[in-house]
Amino acid sequence: MFDVNELISPLATEQTSLSEDVLKKINRQIANQLNTGVLVLDEAFNIVIWNRFLQVHTDKFGADIIGQSIFQAFPELPERWLTRKLMSVMQLNTPNFCSWEQRHHLFELPHTRPITTDSEFMAQNCTFLPIVTESSCKHICILIEDVTDVCHYQGQLQKALEELAQMSRIDGLTQIYNRRHWQESLEQEFAKAKRHSKSLSLVMLDLDYFKLLNDNYGHQCGDMVLIEVSKLIGSLLRVEDIFGRYGGEEFAIILPETDLSGAIELAERICSAVAKKSLEYNGEEINVTISLGVAQLRNKEVSYEGLISQADSALYQAKAEGRNKVCSSSTSVAEV
Amino acid sequence: MSPSVLICDDSNMARKQVLKSLPEEWKTTAQTATNGAEALTILRDNSIDVLFLDLTMPGIDGVGVLQGIQKLKLSCNVFVISADIQPEMQSKVKSLGAKEFLQKPVKADVLINHLQQHGLL
Amino acid sequence: MSEFHLTEDQQDCLQELINVAMGQASDQLARYLDTFVYLKVPSIESVDGKELISTLSQQQNTMAVVSQGFFGYEGIRGEALLAYQEEDSGRIADLLGYEPEELSQDEQLIDISSILTTTFLNVFARQIDNQMSYNAPKLLPSVQNSLSEHLQQMTFNWDLALKVNINYQVTDYSFNCNMILLIPETAIINIKNVLDRILEDF
Repeated sequence: MFDVNELISPLATEQTSLSEDVLKKINRQIANQLNTGVLVLDEAFNIVIWNRFLQVHTDKFGADIIGQSIFQAFPELPERWLTRKLMSVMQLNTPNFCSWEQRHHLFELPHTRPITTDSEFMAQNCTFLPIVTESSCKHICILIEDVTDVCHYQGQLQKALEELAQMSRIDGLTQIYNRRHWQESLEQEFAKAKRHSKSLSLVMLDLDYFKLLNDNYGHQCGDMVLIEVSKLIGSLLRVEDIFGRYGGEEFAIILPETDLSGAIELAERICSAVAKKSLEYNGEEINVTISLGVAQLRNKEVSYEGLISQADSALYQAKAEGRNKVCSSSTSVAEV
Repeated sequence: MSPSVLICDDSNMARKQVLKSLPEEWKTTAQTATNGAEALTILRDNSIDVLFLDLTMPGIDGVGVLQGIQKLKLSCNVFVISADIQPEMQSKVKSLGAKEFLQKPVKADVLINHLQQHGLL
Repeated sequence: MSEFHLTEDQQDCLQELINVAMGQASDQLARYLDTFVYLKVPSIESVDGKELISTLSQQQNTMAVVSQGFFGYEGIRGEALLAYQEEDSGRIADLLGYEPEELSQDEQLIDISSILTTTFLNVFARQIDNQMSYNAPKLLPSVQNSLSEHLQQMTFNWDLALKVNINYQVTDYSFNCNMILLIPETAIINIKNVLDRILEDF
């Protein structure tokens, strides 16, 4: 077997023909040209070595830093937390890390892209390394990497991803949830209600004579009506209600923790609010009405699709009974 | 005459490691057991002077073997050799009659040293 | 049986190395945390990719996975994954000696993972006359599905995963986590060579 101590490291003396003195100079120059901050602490967390990167970025002199406690030299550091972290490096003789993803920076240093990024300080990845000189770990080396770029681009990527995720949930015309997202939400709410034995109701609604409206005033008018009606309905709902565009002129509302009577009451309010609202298109007053079907989750329902078809048939009933009204699947509930 | 020796550990490698660390003249006669039950059978049927005992084994573990030795009232020098080296475990096995607690992986010089201390060499 | 599978002797040797490493790591940890760490013998199994994903997806309450790369001499390298269960995450800050408001939940998980992985692998490496370096640990974003995605996207093709079940019990408080060491093809061969060299010594 071999001995680790005999293994090569690129800067070890035994591997090179260079003199100790030349080697020292090389090491020093590398340390001072690194684009990484290097800080070495003794057991009492006093600074014993730092490199040019830190000198330049802190704009301080060696005399202000060397021999000082790290917490004096950098008062911005969270002392209690960092002390515990440094203790772990000393005691366990293992490296420890601090990533910008959890803490944007430890040291308040300026960065080289103040114009094109939006953060004041350099984002940092810090590594704490045990330095074993004698038999135990007596020094700690802190490496400070500038990751402002990474942080900036990651932020932009995150923003773009969030926008995309938002877009994939939203109906482009009405800006309410699209069918896919609405249906996923229903699936979740259905499972939640089943699990916790909570009530859950559904309202399906449809604009009356929408095809006629499109034929008489054009599709732009139809679009305007869809947008305005969505806005009006949205304003009547609670935050926990989930409102989506189900199809062309069909909408659907999930009402968590709401029983049938509560759902009917809300549906009636929506029905009359839409009927009362007068819209305007090219100077002409337009009045629309909607028909609504309401259903409540019953114990025997095994899938959310069953709930949709209950509300759907109530909606057809409302249409058949002359429109501009609310019907519910209460008859089928009575059967249970 | 060299004493009768038993090495009990579920790991083949650990048994070999102990065997390798023993004094030369002990090596040829040392017996081995791969679990606690096997060890107790050998201990009961033979007169064993020195037992090297692992703690964590399937079935009857090292602590179980120590209790068995007490129950059978056997006189046997037990050296526990364990990976679990926390002080609580050390005092527990000592209270159950173990002579020494050695840290795994066992080193020959450490082992010999302890055997000498207990007058076995 | 593929060339990456360990022989019975190699498996035994590896288990013993891991037991010893875990024992010493617990002792260090107990001193650092200033408490008694009760350690069950880690159970070790080697699993291939498909098995691993199915075992991990069976643990539905897995709430977080932290990943940390490691590399040493003789081409021994891999990635350690630490998987935590939901109920265990509450008191990690307390355990580590931090005030809960000093660090986020994510940072707590990363911190404990790094400590568990590095103390364990350091002792393991020392036993095989090696020395490890580590990458910064990373919390994998949302566990659902992402673990299998992560396994597929990894830069090296790993062929064998060593699943080490660790149970740390710290006086009145216990937490379980699974440490999974993913090891690429070439590194397995290298580990087998090291194990053979140790076995030859006997």
